[in-house]
Amino acid sequence: MPHCSMGIDQAPPDLRGRGHPDRLFRALGGLIDGYEWLTCGASLHRRPARKVIRERILTVQQTRVEAAGVRSFSLVSGSGDPLPRWQPGAHLDILLPSGRRRQYSLCGDPADRSAYRIAVRLIAHGAGGSRELHESVATGCTMSVRGPRNAFPFVPASHYLFLAGGIGITPILPMVKHAAAGGTPWQLVYTGRCRQSMPFLDELSELDPNRILLRPYDQYGYLPGTRLLAHALPGATVYCCGPPAMIASVRRDFPTSAASALHGERFTAPPIAGGEAFDVRLWRSNRVIRVPADRSVLDTLQEVLPTLPYSCRRGFCGTCRTRVIAGEVAHHDQVLTPQERAETMTICVSRSRGGPITLDL
Amino acid sequence: MTPPTDDLENLVIRPRNVAFDWSELPAHWVPREPFVTHTINVLHLLLPAGERWFVQVFAQALPLIRDEKLREDVVGFLGQEAIHARSHQGVLDHWKAKGIDTDPYVRQIEWMFTKALGDRDLPLKRREEWLIERLSIIAAIEHITAMLGHWALNSPALDVAGADPTMMDLLRWHGAEEVIHRAVAFDLLTHFDQRHRRRVRGMLITAPIMAWLWIRGVVFLMRTDPELGGRVKPRWRHYLRASRRGLLPPMRRLVGQALNYYRPGFHPSSEFSTSQAAAYLATSPAALAAGV
Repeated sequence: MPHCSMGIDQAPPDLRGRGHPDRLFRALGGLIDGYEWLTCGASLHRRPARKVIRERILTVQQTRVEAAGVRSFSLVSGSGDPLPRWQPGAHLDILLPSGRRRQYSLCGDPADRSAYRIAVRLIAHGAGGSRELHESVATGCTMSVRGPRNAFPFVPASHYLFLAGGIGITPILPMVKHAAAGGTPWQLVYTGRCRQSMPFLDELSELDPNRILLRPYDQYGYLPGTRLLAHALPGATVYCCGPPAMIASVRRDFPTSAASALHGERFTAPPIAGGEAFDVRLWRSNRVIRVPADRSVLDTLQEVLPTLPYSCRRGFCGTCRTRVIAGEVAHHDQVLTPQERAETMTICVSRSRGGPITLDL
Repeated sequence: MTPPTDDLENLVIRPRNVAFDWSELPAHWVPREPFVTHTINVLHLLLPAGERWFVQVFAQALPLIRDEKLREDVVGFLGQEAIHARSHQGVLDHWKAKGIDTDPYVRQIEWMFTKALGDRDLPLKRREEWLIERLSIIAAIEHITAMLGHWALNSPALDVAGADPTMMDLLRWHGAEEVIHRAVAFDLLTHFDQRHRRRVRGMLITAPIMAWLWIRGVVFLMRTDPELGGRVKPRWRHYLRASRRGLLPPMRRLVGQALNYYRPGFHPSSEFSTSQAAAYLATSPAALAAGV
């Protein structure tokens, strides 16, 4: 047996509070030491992990104007091999030629393995992803995609209420068609600025018109969650996708509705508002990185330290907690205790109070 | 319940910021069933330290991953496990505030995870093998937590028995996330080492130790329960009776499901239902209150 100081020499106090080491736990420590010795020595000729390529180059086969400001893109693989299958609610991760990465819901037919379809609303004053797709991506262009992945899973239910707002129809459309084809009772309430701005009305018109309520704002005004959920039959399963205000309103009013389940798409971090730029000094590598006003410390540092641990990106899970060596931190997390805040910060949401921050990285 | 043949695939794994209020939790939250209550309560003793250890070990594996999809899964897993640990810790804190001291037992569990199973002072190559060996142990534990999560989602007898709804939501929310991310630890292990023996020996060491810790935990909790005053000793027949009534998972099924893990072609996606778990999360009060 090799000398290993951990399990053999020590053990935790026993359960009776007599203060001496627990004999069974001492034995457990010995067992684990032996296990490590036996197994890890024997595994030294393990083959190293192989790189797995997840990117796929797809070609734009067709683009089509679906509504005012909404364009759809049909993507096919160059090789002609069937594309990976997907289920309603799934999205693609698209790497645009500019390097921007965007996620778009798949809104075509899951049974069609030859092409994916996404639809994009032009956001004139957005970060530029939709403008790039609208203005510089045409038939024949290629793009690198990852996925499909699903953050909005469609589960079997006895009856559905679908609530879609504007471009939020994209993940809902395959769900509606799936429910209609399977004979499950459903109802769709579809809102938007005006009819001309609401995509896929033509495809929806092929379905049972009694189940579809079109509620453009210019005719019906803005409908709060209570009004939307009023269409739910008792025990309905609700799927909701639309502008943040619509989702928040539905979420708030859901507990008092007749529906029993609410599915909403799960987004990543909200954009940073009112931030200021500051410097982060990396203590171990002695580098200084500028964090821009509209980006988080985590996002910025990932460019130089791509393997930093993190998870929620919203300051509640604490995975990205990092030791602060110097600097004044403005904490925006919901997880650290005052003692933890004195020495550490969650780099996904917390920022500087103005001056530079030195991190133990 | 048989898993559907067309179960959900490629789900994005992301933590939910849930919170639970224990101020109204009865000591025996399955009414008149102290044995059942404490058998399930052992989870609160084991999981905070265990899941914090998962996070630590996984964070070390993160830089070695050479698959972006797997990396995304691991990132989501890290946050879910951190929130699981915090949520069960909340129950321990509640007990402590009520004067029930679980420290002696919890200290031993923390010792096991941080010392016996912690980082070791080893040569570089061997340190990496110890990391992967611990991934094998975590994959085995995750198979067991998925089994238990699946059972929690299919345990109507507890509701009939009047089990505390907040505790049931904790167990089922946690169970649902375990079912949904049941393949992540397995895929991470096999990314580094596909060999069958690497996987099965993780289960060989894990299953007996977990069973032993569980029995020890029930004995400890029944002894420290102030309402029982040490008068009621846990007995095997208590377990058999409770599992027959659907209040605890039947041993025969647990053993069968654990043995499946030894099958050469086994993959976690072949059992349990992601659909069912996702459907529960859309009704869970805690998950709904947590928002997106």
